[in-house]
Amino acid sequence: MKPGHLTLKIIALLVMNDLLDSVAQVFMKTGLLKTGIHSIDLTTIAEFTVRSAASPYLWAGLAIYVISFFLWIVVLSRIELSIALPVSSVCYLLTPLFAVVFLHEQVSPVRWLGISLIIAGIYFVSESKRKSMEAS
Amino acid sequence: MLKVIILVIISELWNAAGQILYKKGLNELTSMSLTTLGGVIDFLKYVFTHPCVWLGIGSMVVCIAFWIAALAQADLSFVYPIGSIQYVFVMLAAHFLLGEKLDWRKLAGTALVVGGVILISMT
Repeated sequence: MKPGHLTLKIIALLVMNDLLDSVAQVFMKTGLLKTGIHSIDLTTIAEFTVRSAASPYLWAGLAIYVISFFLWIVVLSRIELSIALPVSSVCYLLTPLFAVVFLHEQVSPVRWLGISLIIAGIYFVSESKRKSMEAS
Repeated sequence: MLKVIILVIISELWNAAGQILYKKGLNELTSMSLTTLGGVIDFLKYVFTHPCVWLGIGSMVVCIAFWIAALAQADLSFVYPIGSIQYVFVMLAAHFLLGEKLDWRKLAGTALVVGGVILISMT
């Protein structure tokens, strides 16, 4: 059985994972914006593939994403998903914030409301997993 | 935007498949220590020789390809939250494939996530 509680080290890993995930998305989006192609269809898909494959930003984003993926695997091998999940849901707040700050996206109040519902939903799902763990 | 939402949904279906596969492969990993170099090498050796982990990684590659196609065509602050639909897929897969029980918390949580996704898809 895994230790059920969060240690400082695990929290640090989780926060790092959230940060890396959000930063990876910003890098990927930056690279994709630089391709200049904003709609993919049969006429643009070839050009889009060539341009995005040549984008250092996209590759940097993917590399950071892979690192965060391995961090996540390490975390999941140490603690239960139900404990890791609510902490990791912070990235649903972090990523749109980064999108506003670094990509100058406009986030409407309705979109923020949707994001709040999602974070609350993830909390409920993990709460259920925790209760079922306690019961067993 | 419907095109983007469909791309995110396809991406997250592959993500859910990948998660279930590599989680299955990683369940035996708990005893490994990652504080020493030898431990890290053992970890990587285990990860890269386990078929479930490989299938999981394959699914993640497909997932990322669809994700990139979605992200290219809409705001990050739009695409990313919609990706949370993965929680619904993982819950359904855990229920139907692994026999995990559903309770009101899970259903309420899923309803909130779906509500959030619907709100965002209208923006």
